[in-house]
Amino acid sequence: MASLLSCPHCGTRPKEEFTIKGAALTRPASDAPAEAWFAHVYLRENPRGNYEEYWHHTSGCRRWLVVTRDTATHEVDGVRDAAASPNREGAA
Amino acid sequence: MSDQATGKPVITHRPVLAARKPVIGTGVSIEAIPEGHVIHVLAGKGAENLAPFLAEHAPEQALFAVRAVSPGQWFIVGKKPLSNSESTALISTLEPKADCVDQSHGRVRIRVSGSKVEQMLAKGTAVDLAPTAFPLGHATTTLIGHVAAHITRTDAESFEIIVLRGFAESLWDDFETMGREFI
Repeated sequence: MASLLSCPHCGTRPKEEFTIKGAALTRPASDAPAEAWFAHVYLRENPRGNYEEYWHHTSGCRRWLVVTRDTATHEVDGVRDAAASPNREGAA
Repeated sequence: MSDQATGKPVITHRPVLAARKPVIGTGVSIEAIPEGHVIHVLAGKGAENLAPFLAEHAPEQALFAVRAVSPGQWFIVGKKPLSNSESTALISTLEPKADCVDQSHGRVRIRVSGSKVEQMLAKGTAVDLAPTAFPLGHATTTLIGHVAAHITRTDAESFEIIVLRGFAESLWDDFETMGREFI
């Protein structure tokens, strides 16, 4: 797990200020078949390498962020505001 | 307790840090800032930066009476409690652009200052408080220990800490402990 994250609004902060939500996945359409929703909710890849996750800056600006983290080295490749992400609800 | 004539409850405002005497040390000082007003301002979705607009309308025209909280959020702070009409007037001025929540009874301000104040705060928070990274007027929300707090640099060697009322005494005690070697 990364121990330092650079919040685009607050600067570099320790992970204790954040809450992790899990993989940042594109949501299926609301009328998608049950299998697609089952996969979205329960099934996860376990890739080695870069992985996008939602993190909430709970004790800072309280913004949802998308963190790109390497699952093998824990290096953080990038952090962006979730509102600027194409994965956000209602998009695409 | 209720008023005998009207039967309405009487609410007496009691400053939470009233019993704490200011701690004036050689390197660090801790003082309670009079409980005036703290108005939380939240901009509407997609609203532009309201900081200049707020600075213009803040009741106390003193420098840095508006504190940035997070994207689209600010605190308007002042030492003087706002009367009902003053607070209604302020909120109705800001309302076309933002929503306001009066936090005057919910948040308390503490001033910590002195030549060693950055070292003292560094024991509790991960924020880089060096003047280059955290210049005059800069503000941020963070943790001090496990307590959520909002820090503003109000002077070269002075910081204002805004904390939830219920945590104010606890944080005050923490500051005394953190600053003991400098007092």
